[in-house]
Amino acid sequence: MGRLLRIAGELLVTCGVVVFGFLAYMYWGTAVQASDAQRTYTSQLTRQWSEANPITVLSGQRTITPGTPFALLRIPRFGRAWQLAVVQGSGASQLLLAPGHVPGTALPGHVGNFAVAAHRVTAGNPFWSLPSLRKGSIIDVETIAGTYEYEVTSKPTLVPANDLSVLDAVPFHPGETGHQKLITLITCDPPWTGTSRLVVTGVLVRTLPRAPGS
Amino acid sequence: MYGWLWRRLPGGPGARLVQLVLLIAVVGVLLWFVVYPWASQHLPVDPSGLG
Repeated sequence: MGRLLRIAGELLVTCGVVVFGFLAYMYWGTAVQASDAQRTYTSQLTRQWSEANPITVLSGQRTITPGTPFALLRIPRFGRAWQLAVVQGSGASQLLLAPGHVPGTALPGHVGNFAVAAHRVTAGNPFWSLPSLRKGSIIDVETIAGTYEYEVTSKPTLVPANDLSVLDAVPFHPGETGHQKLITLITCDPPWTGTSRLVVTGVLVRTLPRAPGS
Repeated sequence: MYGWLWRRLPGGPGARLVQLVLLIAVVGVLLWFVVYPWASQHLPVDPSGLG
């Protein structure tokens, strides 16, 4: 009996260590992976943008290969140095390394809703501070064509995890074709869980085209 | 469990300790680079993904 109890105890302690190891991996391991990927993406984008002719690249930009970076996201409220490369696609494998553009939603600067999903925790906690955005906060999106400046239109809102109508061209109005150029940032809430989604919406207020050769 | 392992390892206490540390290191590396990445893709931890 005593021997069985000891074995059970050892097994339980071992399981505990393994589980804590998993939490450590989710917090630090995935952050290291994501920051390595971000470094690669950012240098890839800056090199591409300095070499390419904006007009030719933009016309081919309608179908971006999943996992490919195509924009830089900057949110001044999160700090001057806060910048993340956005990749095409918002599946788990893409979000492991970067915020992802939800397929089927508009591209930055276009009419419709440019929707970007990212983790609240894990993968470097990209959207950890999303709840701190307020009406009037600036969201900058830089692509090969230039920089699009969006302004947040309301406080962050919570929606049920399975309610995807925030991604519509006119949010919460499925089927309607909008004429506004919107951005939607979306993440998990509460952190670590899939209970609901935290959503921030903004509208395009300024476009700064890229000067040729810059 | 660990007592059984300790008795099974060959050599003196020093050699056994070295083997045990190596064994733990191997298990740790396997967990960190193989098991945890696999598990993270199959558990709904912060499921921000769409579509």
